[in-house]
Amino acid sequence: MHIPDGYLSPTTCLAFGAAMVPAWTVAVKKVKCWLRSSYVPLMAIGAAFSFTIMMYNVPIPDGTTAHAVGGGLLAVVLGPWAAMICITIALAIQALLFGDGGVWTFTANCFNMALVLPFVSYWVYRLISGNSDPAATRRWVGAAAGGFFGLVTAALFAGVELGLQPILFHTAKGVPLYCPYPLAVAVPAMLFAHLLIAGPLEAVVTALVVRYLQSYNRDLLSLRTLSDATSPPASISYRKLWWALGVVIVLAPLGLLAGGTAWGEWGAEEMRKLLGFIPAGMQRLSGTWSHAPLPDYSLPGSDSFWSSAIVYILCALLAVGIICLLTYLFSRFQAAERKELS
Amino acid sequence: MKPPGFRPLADKQPIPIWLQEKTPFPMPRTAGGRSYRRGFIEKTLASIADVVKNEVFSDFLAGRQGLLQGLDPRVKLISILFLIGTAGLFHHILPLLLFNLWLFWLARSSQIPIKTFAKRVWIVVPLFTGILVFPALFNVVRPGTPLLVLFHFQHAVKLAYWDIPRELAITREGLTAAALLLLRVGASVSLAVLLTLTTRWNVLLKALSVLRIPSVFLTVLEMSYRYIFLLLQTTSDMFMARRSRLAERSNSREERRFVTSAMGTLWGKTTALSHEVHSAMLARGYTGSPRSLFRFEMRPSDWVWMVLVFIIALVFVGGDRVFG
Repeated sequence: MHIPDGYLSPTTCLAFGAAMVPAWTVAVKKVKCWLRSSYVPLMAIGAAFSFTIMMYNVPIPDGTTAHAVGGGLLAVVLGPWAAMICITIALAIQALLFGDGGVWTFTANCFNMALVLPFVSYWVYRLISGNSDPAATRRWVGAAAGGFFGLVTAALFAGVELGLQPILFHTAKGVPLYCPYPLAVAVPAMLFAHLLIAGPLEAVVTALVVRYLQSYNRDLLSLRTLSDATSPPASISYRKLWWALGVVIVLAPLGLLAGGTAWGEWGAEEMRKLLGFIPAGMQRLSGTWSHAPLPDYSLPGSDSFWSSAIVYILCALLAVGIICLLTYLFSRFQAAERKELS
Repeated sequence: MKPPGFRPLADKQPIPIWLQEKTPFPMPRTAGGRSYRRGFIEKTLASIADVVKNEVFSDFLAGRQGLLQGLDPRVKLISILFLIGTAGLFHHILPLLLFNLWLFWLARSSQIPIKTFAKRVWIVVPLFTGILVFPALFNVVRPGTPLLVLFHFQHAVKLAYWDIPRELAITREGLTAAALLLLRVGASVSLAVLLTLTTRWNVLLKALSVLRIPSVFLTVLEMSYRYIFLLLQTTSDMFMARRSRLAERSNSREERRFVTSAMGTLWGKTTALSHEVHSAMLARGYTGSPRSLFRFEMRPSDWVWMVLVFIIALVFVGGDRVFG
C-alpha cells in the first residue's frame, strides 16, 4: 500500500501534507495529555515495534508468506491517536532510511495508513467490543473486524488517490502524467487485492495477537495501564487548530483542482488566468525564449521530423554534458575546500 | 542417563527413530547443495539481516569523500527533496531520461559504486512499477492511438462499464504514460537512494530539524531508530530459537499462531521497555522537553551547491517546457 514517489502529482502530496499537519498536531496534544512525559519513549519504542512487525513473514494457506501491516493492532492496543504517531514514525523511517514508499508521497501514505487505517480499525473494534471484559470473545472478534475494515478502507483511499491522477493531471494530448489508471481501474484493483488477501490476513493476525494477549498479558488490552494515572488529564485548547483547519479547507480544493496543470507549472497564459496578469519578468523571459538562436531546437533548413529529432537530442545531450561538467567542477571545488579545512 | 528413544551408538544408528520416521526438515542451502523453498522463519531472518546489512553498508558509503557526502546534511536533504519535486514536474520522456543520466553522474561523483546504484534503482523500479503499468500499455485498459496491433477479436464486447474493443493493441498514449511513470519513479528512487547511501542515519534524522518538524517528533524518531535494532535482535532471537528446535516442518496454522504470539510477546516487551526507558530518562533529569546537542555548520560550497541545484533544475524543467 506504500505509494512510491512519481505516482502522485506534487500538488496532491502537498494537499495531503496540509491535511495531515492538523491531524498530527492534535495527535501529539492528545497523547501528551494522556501519557504525560512517558509518551516519548512509548511512542518511540511503539514505532520501532510497528516497523519490526511489518517485517514479519506470516505463513498463508497457499504455502507462501505475506506481510501484515499491524496498524489495526496498534489502534487496538494504543488507541487511534497514539497509533497514528507510531505509524507515522515507522513510515518516516521506512521512507527516509530504507526507500520504501516515497519521500513526497509520505504525506499521502500517512493519510491512508496513519490516519484512515487506525481510526477505522479503532471505531470498528469499539463498535463490536463495546465495554466488554478484556477476556471476552467480542474483543478479538472486534479486533479481527477492525483489522480487516481498517486495511480495506485505507486501500480504498489509496485507490481513489491513484485513480484521480489521470483525471486531474495529463498533457494536452491526454497522456496521463502520473499514475495512468482511472478510478474505474485503480479502485477495483486495490480493493480486489485487499479484500481477498491482505484484509483477511490482517484480520487473522490482529485477532490472534489479541487472543494471545488475552491469554498471557491481559493488562495490555486495557489502555489505562499505560497511562500515568496519578495526574488528571489537562484540558487542551484547539482554537488555533480550528483556524488552521478552516484555512486548509478553503485552500485544499484550490490545490487539488488547479485547472489540470500541476502546481507551479503554469505557462504565461495560465498565469494570466490565475493572477489576472502576466508577471513582468515572466513576460520578458518568454519573449527571450522565442529569440533563441535555435528556435524550437531546429537548424535552419531542417524540416523533416528525423533531422529535427536528432537536433533535439544533440542539444539536450550538450545541455546534460554542461550540467555534468558543472557537477564535476563543483566536486573539485568541494575537494579544494576540504583540503583547505584539514 | 540417556534420553528415551535413543539407541546406543554401537547399533550404528545415532539418529533417534522418531526423527527418522518424520519428514526430514530441509537444512539451509550449502555450497553445491540443493536449494529449497524458504519458510517464514528464514524469510523473516533474512529481511532482518538485510536491514542490518543495509545500515552497515550505507554507513561505509557515507564515510567516503564524495560530492554528496561533503555537503551539509540539511542542504543535502533540502536539495534532494527539491530535486524529487522537480522530477514530478516533467511532461516529456527525453528530459526525464537526461535527468536520470545526470543522477548517475551524481552517484559517480559521490563515489557510490555504479553497479550498486543501478541494481538498487533500475532492477527494483522496472520490476514493481513495470508490472504495475504493463496493462496500461493496451487499449483495453486505456483507449488511444494504436501503435502495434497484437490481436483481432470477432466483435466488440461490453462488460458492465468496461468496453473491450475489436482489436488488442499497444497504444502510443499507453507507451508514453508507462515510460513517463517508470522514468519518474526511477528518478525519485535514485534521489532517495542517493540521500540514504551518503548520509549517516543519525545525522539524517537530525538534519530533519531544518524542515521545521517539531523537536518532539525528531526525538521520537531518533529513539525509535535506536530501538528498532533492539527489537529486530529480539525478533531474530525468537525466530532463531524456534528454528533450532524444529525437527520437522510444522503446519501453517501452527506457524501463524507462532508468528502472532511472537508479535504479542514483542508488544509486551515493548511496553515494559518503554516504562524502563522512561524511568531512566526521569532519573537523568528529563523534564518533558528534549534537547539536541548536535550542531551543523554551513560552508561556502553548501551555498554554491544550493544555487547550482536550483539552476540545474531550472534548465531541466525549462528544457522540458520547450517540448510543449
